Amino acid sequence: MPSKNMTFEPNANKDFFSKLNLFVQTHTALMAVIIAAILYIITIIINPKGMNTVAIGNIILLTVILSIPAAGQTMVLISGGMDFSVGAIMSATAVLTTYTMKGENGHFLTVLIISLAIGAFVGFLNGVCCVKIGLPAMIVTMAISNIVTRMQYILTQGVLSGKASPLFSSTVKFKLFGVVPHIVVYALIIWPIVFYLLKRSRFGKQLYMVGNNANAARLNGVRVTKIQVLSYVFSGMLAAFAGMLGAAYMSTARCQIFDDYAYQSLIAVIIGGTTFAGGSGSYEGSIAGSLVMILLSNLLTTLNPTQPVRNVLNAAILILLLVLYNRGKAVRQ
Amino acid sequence: MLEMKGIDKRFGAVVALNKASLTVKEGEVMALAGSNGSGKSTMVKVLAGLVAPNAGEILIDGEKKIIHSGTDSTREGIATAFQDLSLIPTMSVKDNILLGCEIVTKSGMVDEKESRRLVQELLDRFHIDCDPDDYVQTLMPSTQSMLEVAKAVFRKPKILLLDEVTASLHYDEIATLFDIMRELKNEGVSMVYVTHRMNEIFEICDSITIMRSSETVTSGPVSDFTLDDIIFYMTGARPKHSEAKTAAAEDQDDREVVVEVKNISVYPKVKDISMKAYKGEIVGIGGLEGQGQPEVIRSILGAVRPQSGSICYMGKDVRFKDPAAGVKAGIGFISGDRSKEAVFDIRTITENIFAGNSAKESLFAYLSAKKVRKFSEDAVKKYNIKIGKLKDPASSLSGGNQQKLVVARWIAMNPNLLLLDDPTKGVDIHSRQEIHDILRECAANGMTVIIAASDTDELLNISDRVYVFYEGKVAAELSGEFKTSEHLVSAMMGVKEKVQEAE
Repeated sequence: MPSKNMTFEPNANKDFFSKLNLFVQTHTALMAVIIAAILYIITIIINPKGMNTVAIGNIILLTVILSIPAAGQTMVLISGGMDFSVGAIMSATAVLTTYTMKGENGHFLTVLIISLAIGAFVGFLNGVCCVKIGLPAMIVTMAISNIVTRMQYILTQGVLSGKASPLFSSTVKFKLFGVVPHIVVYALIIWPIVFYLLKRSRFGKQLYMVGNNANAARLNGVRVTKIQVLSYVFSGMLAAFAGMLGAAYMSTARCQIFDDYAYQSLIAVIIGGTTFAGGSGSYEGSIAGSLVMILLSNLLTTLNPTQPVRNVLNAAILILLLVLYNRGKAVRQ
Repeated sequence: MLEMKGIDKRFGAVVALNKASLTVKEGEVMALAGSNGSGKSTMVKVLAGLVAPNAGEILIDGEKKIIHSGTDSTREGIATAFQDLSLIPTMSVKDNILLGCEIVTKSGMVDEKESRRLVQELLDRFHIDCDPDDYVQTLMPSTQSMLEVAKAVFRKPKILLLDEVTASLHYDEIATLFDIMRELKNEGVSMVYVTHRMNEIFEICDSITIMRSSETVTSGPVSDFTLDDIIFYMTGARPKHSEAKTAAAEDQDDREVVVEVKNISVYPKVKDISMKAYKGEIVGIGGLEGQGQPEVIRSILGAVRPQSGSICYMGKDVRFKDPAAGVKAGIGFISGDRSKEAVFDIRTITENIFAGNSAKESLFAYLSAKKVRKFSEDAVKKYNIKIGKLKDPASSLSGGNQQKLVVARWIAMNPNLLLLDDPTKGVDIHSRQEIHDILRECAANGMTVIIAASDTDELLNISDRVYVFYEGKVAAELSGEFKTSEHLVSAMMGVKEKVQEAE
């Protein structure tokens, strides 16, 4: 056992940084907003023409879409897990949406019910394997995404087929006053539900308890397994719905179209202040984190580098952000 | 040979050792005795290099030595067999024994053949019946303890520290161990032997050092001490050898039995425990560490499933499938192991206080923020918890206040039966007093409280009745005039004096 003596060095400089650090840790959502603002300002400086209604509308639209799988990812991460299958689920329901709608109106409810059922089922499968059986979440959710991906090929034979219904597409893409896309209405339904679950229900309280200290939560009377499995189920359902919206936005959907969202959502959530260790995080942070991801990609598009350079830059910036966040955490503990 | 002088150790505000000292001569077995928390294990850990003392010195053969780490300790010829074992469960018996002192050939390769021969020889000497390639985790707890000692002896130490190694050993194994200890003694090895079993002291030890509340109170040859003397030095009072009778049970008969545990066993610690608690009563559970107290408490809660026996709660036989079921039935649980079992350190004070309520009622119902805040504000005020802001994380509080947080969490839920497992471990005296007052008030209002405590004074102070556990069985039930420190300590040590088991 090392000696527990701590050394205190009265150092004004250090004090400033520790205060800054404390601020960063306690205001993670705000920090993400600040980072987003900086990214946007850089983009505008490089390309002043980038500030137009179409671009802003697209930023809002994409942020809303990413914020939905990020909601599930937030829940799973808070409870101490990780969900890599959100991308595959999104792709699957997107493919299903175009395949079933075939560009005709009137299939929305059918598609919604089937999609949510698929999302819930895959989430449940994830939950059972990770929590009940106790396999590593990263491997399980990746393996299950693989199955979900193959199912898309079985359904469509890998051929681009169908189209989202025009009505459904318009509820996503059309822009109010030419700026605000209609998808905001979906956000106004989904976001409050997520906030309610996380902040105003015992489910949310238990989620944080389980993630912070599963053993204490169990002895306190929380059904830990149930809560963790539920977090995966919600994550699956949210991703399924996001996939439908994505299909409406793109009109057509090839297999694996949204697979990227697994990483995108995970990183958005972490930039928003939710930790891998579980037990902390917030949805407002994840929404801000989604905005950061979209603006980062927007900035890289503006710079217009070749694809490999773009990937390198993307990765480097993300690693920089994650390192900054992890440093904050290490100092506290 | 070995001398420790003026050793001080503080963990924060808690004094673990206060100018403690001990001396061991060459080829001598010295017993280190004392009740729970008296500092015995800390002394051993100082020698093993696991605890850095704040002051004091260690002399070996008259030379001052500095022990900063386990490596230093090994270099000075000290080997330790720990109570909680230093074996790696997922490694084989052979690898565990050779860990850190692998046998190599001239070319620097591991000498597989020689290793195997030496390990087999060691296992034969200790009568350990297992293959060198068996994984440690597959062995019985008693075999593991034996292996722990064998591992220490394999290092050919000059000084061997044995910290409560016989706690889980069987009789024949203890006999083997004692034979080996005698052989080692003849070879000139000095041994420090920590034990709670009094008869072992008289059987194997040459001298004894007794500690009480972090200080060394006395030492000398074992032949100068009687059993009563040892208990006197450990507790500060002489045991009265009076006939203990069933104490004042008459007025209990018409009281409602809230929970009755009948002959439960939980492998491997609990063998056969029966106890009951009446409405509005504070029942204490005493005993040395590891006699099955936590298992019994967790069996009632539903966190542990007993192999046999039954638990009758509120007049019905119950078998809760998990703690959630127990909590639903009106049971609350407060653990003293705050970091592992009670506190949500990165969550806010509000959330920590509300945690009991969070766990209990419907999952998706609306919770008003105001109600939650009021709930925790009231608790903070009522139980005098010293906090900064309600939004601060629980880790910002001192140990005592964290514990009050957990106590408040459950008291506010007003459970029918409150279970506490060593709730004041590492809690300062003032907070401890406050927690006791809260418990007394609750019991007076009809709550039933079952409390296990390692501190004997605390146990006697708070409980109406005390069950003393020894080796997984109830060694004594003390109440009324028999609820004294001497009776408690002798029952804890498994000393069969004239105290009768009360029915």
